[in-house]
Amino acid sequence: MSPKRTAVADPFDDFAAFVGPGAVARLRGLGHDFLETRRAGPCVWDAAGKRYFDCFAGAGTFNLGRRPPRIVAALQRALTLTDQGNFAMISIEKARLAATLADFTPGGLDCAVFSVVRGETVEFACKLARGFTGRPELIAFAGGWHGETGFALSLSTRPDQPHFAPLTPRTRLIPFGDIDAARQAITGQTAAVFFEPVQAENHGRAFAGDFLRDLERHCRAVGALLVADETQTGFGRTGKRFAVERAGVDPDMLIVGEALGAGIFPIAATIYQQRLNAFMNDHPLIHLSTFGGSDLGCLVALEALAVYEETRPWENAEKLGVRLREGLEKIAAARPRVIESVAGVGLLLSLQLATPAKARDFCKALAKEGVLAMPGAVEKRAVVLRPCLTITAADADEIVAAVGRAAKGK
Amino acid sequence: MPESHNLPAKPAGAAMTRREKAELEARFGRHINEGQVKYLKAGHLDVIETQRSGIRFVDPVQNRPFIDCFGSAGCFNVGRRNPEVMATLVAALDEYDMGSFHMVSAPKARLAKKLVELAPAGVDRVLFAAGGGDAVDAAIKLARGATGRSEIISTVKGYHGHTGFALGANGKAHYREYCEPLIPDFRFAPFNDLKAMEAMASPRTAAIIIEPVQGEAGIFVGDDDYLRGLRALCDRCGALLIFDEIQTGFGRTGRFFACEHSGVSPDIMTIAKSLGGGLYPNAAVLYRGSKTLAGYVDKNPDFHPSPAGGADLACLVSLKAIELIEKNRLCANAEAMGARLKGALRELLEQNPKIIKEVRGRGLMIGIEYIHEFMGPMMSDALAKNGMFAAYSGNAPQVMRFMLPLTVTDEEMDTVIAAIRGAVASMKMLLPFALPAAKIPAVLRALNNEKAQIVLFGFLRRVEDAVGVVGRAFKGGRS
Repeated sequence: MSPKRTAVADPFDDFAAFVGPGAVARLRGLGHDFLETRRAGPCVWDAAGKRYFDCFAGAGTFNLGRRPPRIVAALQRALTLTDQGNFAMISIEKARLAATLADFTPGGLDCAVFSVVRGETVEFACKLARGFTGRPELIAFAGGWHGETGFALSLSTRPDQPHFAPLTPRTRLIPFGDIDAARQAITGQTAAVFFEPVQAENHGRAFAGDFLRDLERHCRAVGALLVADETQTGFGRTGKRFAVERAGVDPDMLIVGEALGAGIFPIAATIYQQRLNAFMNDHPLIHLSTFGGSDLGCLVALEALAVYEETRPWENAEKLGVRLREGLEKIAAARPRVIESVAGVGLLLSLQLATPAKARDFCKALAKEGVLAMPGAVEKRAVVLRPCLTITAADADEIVAAVGRAAKGK
Repeated sequence: MPESHNLPAKPAGAAMTRREKAELEARFGRHINEGQVKYLKAGHLDVIETQRSGIRFVDPVQNRPFIDCFGSAGCFNVGRRNPEVMATLVAALDEYDMGSFHMVSAPKARLAKKLVELAPAGVDRVLFAAGGGDAVDAAIKLARGATGRSEIISTVKGYHGHTGFALGANGKAHYREYCEPLIPDFRFAPFNDLKAMEAMASPRTAAIIIEPVQGEAGIFVGDDDYLRGLRALCDRCGALLIFDEIQTGFGRTGRFFACEHSGVSPDIMTIAKSLGGGLYPNAAVLYRGSKTLAGYVDKNPDFHPSPAGGADLACLVSLKAIELIEKNRLCANAEAMGARLKGALRELLEQNPKIIKEVRGRGLMIGIEYIHEFMGPMMSDALAKNGMFAAYSGNAPQVMRFMLPLTVTDEEMDTVIAAIRGAVASMKMLLPFALPAAKIPAVLRALNNEKAQIVLFGFLRRVEDAVGVVGRAFKGGRS
């Protein structure tokens, strides 16, 4: 048995000792080896007072900015009323959030089951799909990233899958955007088809509207459920409240991520059509989540929904997404050997570099220029730019300028 | 937003009318789960929690306090809405948010260090996760990734959560059967049976996962010798030993972690629930800094990122909750109060052998097993009438669990014991009707069937409510 390590005061030393040197080395490589001190609006500051635009945004969590004042106040107020609650019980907070989400989301998405983290939402969606349809097969598209837990991992594109194998049987990935392949694969055996309207981690690859409408039609015809994973695209990121509205498809289930808790409280949800609840009503408490649907989290999420509704950040994302993209495309055109392409929708943008190492180096150069961004988890040559949706035109211009300086440094 | 959704937002302490409650149930049923409402009503578990504080909450409909014996299966070790933990979170919000999940932060580093200090010998590395299931999935991924083996051995009726890998390790068909096929290469050995485990484990086993005290299975305490035997078995096979301490951790069994009773250090340990101080989700996987495990993580630092786990706000809450458990000697209190409660329950068993079959547990994780499954919902009702909120176990409805906050005082324990005595006394009144019927096998099968229980007890509940309405109207007329 190894002896306990001795105390050290530096968080980086402690982190390396107790979480692992691998994680710290990775952060050094990205230039993310600093402590976030002040957090406000679309920015964070390090201990020396240097400002960074947060273009990682917790992988789509901080849509409303860092420490949004109304959400902070909502949690402080909620603490005077309630706590996380007993998870299996009926609560005012859970019922209010579920009802409000039904109004907030498109189509007949009427029911909600809450989770605490992305991935857990996908687990429930897979179980509900199998339970409701009585069919075993779960299908997703190559290039997607749905989460870390068992079902979600099985439906994601990642090279380390063999480490954890065997994974969930009767799951398969089909080629991206190929309707003939989809028609062939999705059959009467298929419980559900999962898609991210924009594959955030895969160089912002977006499904064409025509493809999604054909996919929807085919799923309806064979009785397979259509599940939109909007963990990263939801709540305005792509310039619409939800990205499915862009294509005009009505999914049977809609998955939303931690943007629901606006970076103040971890909460996520699977929202689905009332008819699917026949299965859950017959099998209550078959899927439990101790922290999912915490009463405090529900109150935070209710305030976040109110802020989303009032400030309509999707309008800003649509407008500034165009401005940001134009700026990035100019840089790419000027330096095609550094930035090979620009992709994405709204404020979910992505730059493709020549190699994964170059993408990591570019993140480091960006950090030096005051922009926090991460490589894609699937397309590792990509650098994903997903700023908080609250940025101003001047912020967008500053981000473009920083990218320009980083590209020049190559 | 439609005004109606805001209707039941009540200030603390406000009453709720029966009509408002019915509206709430309708909304919950429409937008979350109608079946759950029926199930909870049948089991007399449909109380609403307001004014949560210490070991109690107040049901605003009946306007009376309940002692929380369920505690979200072990989340409220420092009590409901612990004022010091709340103050920590309120203050933390002036500076922090969840933080960038991939980055280093002072709260994360401090909590990681503290957890390693508390962990069993040799367990000196931390991976944050978002909740119990997420932690178990990460633990199993780690075990498979690090060993290059795939077989995981769990226990019959073991319970580890509802995410893909955790569900694979779940030892009850009920949670699995509609979601199959699940992740393969999981096997199940009877709990506390070392021989069975020895027969199953081999050099192709990646890990054995157990709860040192099985929770949802109905509170079965793992014998110290069993845990020691598993340790030796794993060492022989080169398999990893995983302890799921999600329910048993943070003082619940009278020690900070339940494995301390046996002195056995696992290779991997999952924690959640009370790590969040009853307020903020947080979980972690603790593991040995060995070449196998730390070597794997250092080479694959991204093998299980958790966008919601180890949030800065969460870590500050966790640190405060841990500080209070230590400062207020809650482990010792759990041991002392647990001994009192167990003693009182054993006395009840001796007096009521036709109702209570067995009393089990360690510290303040105690279960009583009834002779018949159908007694679970009856006892929930009897306890509710005596001001106690207690739920039967998910994987064993014949077992009532008591997982009180560890802050419970001697005086509060007097109240708890008196209430349980009262509940058993009122059960006795009903049994002359139920027991003879239960002698008929078909009736017993029906009574013990969960679906039949929902129908039967739901019906009885409606009759009671109707009688209650008439009664109240009558009383109202007189006053």
